[in-house]
Amino acid sequence: MRCRLIGSALVFSIAMIVSGCASSEEWAEWRSHSSHFASGQHATFSLRNREGSAPRVARSDIDVARSENWWGKAITVSPDQIFQN
Amino acid sequence: MVTRRWAAAGLLVIALGAGVAPAPAGPVEDKLIPLERYATPKARALASAHRLQLLKYSEYVYGCLPWLDVQKQSIGFQRPKFAEGDDRYFSTWIVVDQKDDPQFAAIPQPRRMSAMFSRFGMDLLRRMATLHEVVADANVEGFSVVTSWLKPGSLAPGAQPVNESIAVFMDKKTALDYLERRITAAELTTKVRSLAFDGQKDLGVIPLEIWDDFFMATFKVPNYEPPPGVTC
Repeated sequence: MRCRLIGSALVFSIAMIVSGCASSEEWAEWRSHSSHFASGQHATFSLRNREGSAPRVARSDIDVARSENWWGKAITVSPDQIFQN
Repeated sequence: MVTRRWAAAGLLVIALGAGVAPAPAGPVEDKLIPLERYATPKARALASAHRLQLLKYSEYVYGCLPWLDVQKQSIGFQRPKFAEGDDRYFSTWIVVDQKDDPQFAAIPQPRRMSAMFSRFGMDLLRRMATLHEVVADANVEGFSVVTSWLKPGSLAPGAQPVNESIAVFMDKKTALDYLERRITAAELTTKVRSLAFDGQKDLGVIPLEIWDDFFMATFKVPNYEPPPGVTC
């Protein structure tokens, strides 16, 4: 009985640890990520470049795409919480 | 890998030294902290003395690292909240464009902070350290990089999105010792000071880890052409 209780506790502990952490696969996936750009932005670039011509992405295209994909002002730490003038 | 990283840093030095053509004033100049925002003569003197270098650095980041958005009025010589004296850190605040990624969401928050700083913050710091005149200025205490990104899962309909942020400060000697491989990443971790935030909530001390990440040295936006006159 005592052994069974200890065994259950062990299984429960391992389950808690695993559920609270990214799996090694998830972590490896993120670390190997080659692109963190929002996929919608790439779509925007594609639309701007005409078929048959060499595609070109200018810095201004990225600014426009960023503003088009803007999802609203995010709640962000204020500079005053980090710096003093 | 180390060679590639230094090659990237070398290109920045060449770009800065070559007197790149001025880019549009708006997106480059508005990243610099304006003189009138500095409260002390020391800070104003630093900002005046190194204005040209900071402008070229801002132009380089704008033109060559388009996946980063530098916060307006964030490049300059900041004094940390915890500083008792007028210690000035050469600073940049970046917001990383990043999609809401399930793998990233599954990583515990302190690990996300470590990962984002290791990937983006450390790279910026490496590039900042190539501004030799700024680094050599005895009135510059060290470096600071604030890295912000969209908190995973915070894009719920009808809710205001939230950014996670990590601000890291390190003195010049520590930064240069690490960049020149005199100390390890583990030693660096024990010598930096960090402030972590979930939105505006101060998370206090988090177990920050720093490691080598070469994403920034290799990542390119497909078919991207930098602005005219900018060498990446």
